[in-house]
Amino acid sequence: MKNFKNILLVFTLSIAILSCSNDDEDPVANDVTLTFNNTFGDETIVLGGAASASATENTSTEGQAHHFSEVKYVISNIRLVQIDGTEIPYNINDLDNGATVINLSNPSSLDYVLSEIPTGEYNQIKFGLGVKSSLNTLDQVSFPDFYALAGANDTEMHWEWGTGYRFTKIEGFYDTDDKTLSVHTGSTVEGTIDDESTYTQGVDAYREITLDLPTNAMVGNSAPIISIKADFDMLLSGATNTIILGEGNATPSIHTAANMVLFVDNLGGNGSTDTTGMFSIESVTN
Amino acid sequence: MKNKQPFITIEQSMKAIKFLIGYIGLTMIVSCSTDDLETVPFENPEVELSIPANFPALNDAFFSNVPTQYGVALGEQIFFDKRLSTDNTISCASCHIQENAFADNNIQAIGVEGRVGIRNVPPIQNLAFMQFYNWDGSKLKLENQPLVPIITHEEMDSSILEVMGKLEADSEYPEMFRKAFGDSEITPDRIYNSIAQYEYTLISSNSIYDQVMKNEGVDFTESEAHGYQIFQQKCASCHSTELFTDQSFRNIGFPINTDSNEAGRARVTGDLEDSMSFRVPSLRNVEYTAPYGSFGQFATLKDVLDYFDNGVLYSDNLDEIFKNNGNRIPLTELEKENLILFMKTLSDLTFISK
Repeated sequence: MKNFKNILLVFTLSIAILSCSNDDEDPVANDVTLTFNNTFGDETIVLGGAASASATENTSTEGQAHHFSEVKYVISNIRLVQIDGTEIPYNINDLDNGATVINLSNPSSLDYVLSEIPTGEYNQIKFGLGVKSSLNTLDQVSFPDFYALAGANDTEMHWEWGTGYRFTKIEGFYDTDDKTLSVHTGSTVEGTIDDESTYTQGVDAYREITLDLPTNAMVGNSAPIISIKADFDMLLSGATNTIILGEGNATPSIHTAANMVLFVDNLGGNGSTDTTGMFSIESVTN
Repeated sequence: MKNKQPFITIEQSMKAIKFLIGYIGLTMIVSCSTDDLETVPFENPEVELSIPANFPALNDAFFSNVPTQYGVALGEQIFFDKRLSTDNTISCASCHIQENAFADNNIQAIGVEGRVGIRNVPPIQNLAFMQFYNWDGSKLKLENQPLVPIITHEEMDSSILEVMGKLEADSEYPEMFRKAFGDSEITPDRIYNSIAQYEYTLISSNSIYDQVMKNEGVDFTESEAHGYQIFQQKCASCHSTELFTDQSFRNIGFPINTDSNEAGRARVTGDLEDSMSFRVPSLRNVEYTAPYGSFGQFATLKDVLDYFDNGVLYSDNLDEIFKNNGNRIPLTELEKENLILFMKTLSDLTFISK
């Protein structure tokens, strides 16, 4: 019995010592939270119906008043970049664990927690607005969770005829008489998965965003919060296009991808000279 | 001198036992391999399709999904299965009705709960020879199409997992999948491929027109022959080849579908030049597929021809052939009558009846 007690004592001490030494070192990984602040300029958007008095009203550079009743978009293909340039991909080929739908009417969707990010110092984040073509197949078998999240009745982010996801879905009203505004974006490319040379038709509405962090995110003992601003003023008054809403482009007939691309380039950048689109980093909290 | 032994020696009996053990072992091995053999696909020959020599080339996808006896049988079973829809009321065949050349007579497609889609149901015929599918050519491979009606709200409003669950619970399907694909696993691709295999077999090439062209002892009537002549002069630049479509996309100034989701081919390509352009439809079996136009604008063929004669809607991307001819196809009443008689020679009774 005495022996046993001794053994237990040694064992307990060992555990305690090991625990202590763990505490002294940085953890090998920690969470990083992305929090999306959806704004018109500096003002966080409040959604509202046609005659809503509380909805945030915005005016485009062309003088068109508009406000939104619904705003949703897909974020995927997230990569955090360390100061030495090492890219840490976050489940980039797994929509269930690496993609999300930001839905302004659902506050909990505005925070997206990246778990198990390796300890280190990060100075850049990259992500996709939408879903890259190789994963944009409405593959319910491979990604049942994301399929359900995107397709839920209050989300409606399936684009059935294109058998892909909607990348952004914006509903709202414009001009003083509150005409309907409806911007849906998504890809229509057709071809062999993973072989872009076979994409003989269609529009790729997926956009890669690259944002430098104003303060390095220190992952380890701290679990940083990166606050990302999505400035929807850019929808009509973007870096690439200045858009005047009218009969030809304000309604969902902007599915006629020609008009759609103008909105896509404003929201997600044109892929060449503009790789930030409507996004910027507000702050990094370590 | 032979030493006859009435009894076997111990040595011999040991041999016998060893042999027996060996035999049992061998039997077990054979049994095992027999079990394995049962999961190997038994003979599932490719279906011999009689492909008309003068038809355009097959879609490349066909060669990666060549119809087999049991693949086609499975695809046909699924095609007629209402469990593809969320409430088990609509099958592919509910809208794609054989006696209508696998189209129907509704103005626009009608799905679950009577929901109305934005377009007219296209016939399913000679799809193996098409390079684009749907009115707007949104799909390039037939295998990529079945998911669309399965998930579309106005069509079957289901999901592929829901469909797979129903098929897995069925007493016949697992065996049919095994015969078609070698094992009983039900996968999305196997569902899509078998449906496409069945559709590849739906070839219409036995109309009066075909019989005339093949000199099978049938002749056009005088009126049909006149109609054919008019057709070659005024229609065949678009309704060309033995499919009676050149598979191009054109805006021919038909009355416009004001559904805000409709943009014609432009919603696929993003090119405003394609606005309200649709694929030139085949005229085979056109007698059975009324009404006509992308959303059933015209009740009869006569209505279509009257419209062409009276003049179509102008737009910037109106087809050049119309632009160069005063936005119309002038036709006399006799020409219209005989054109319709000619078009009816494209009816294939063997295709629309089992």
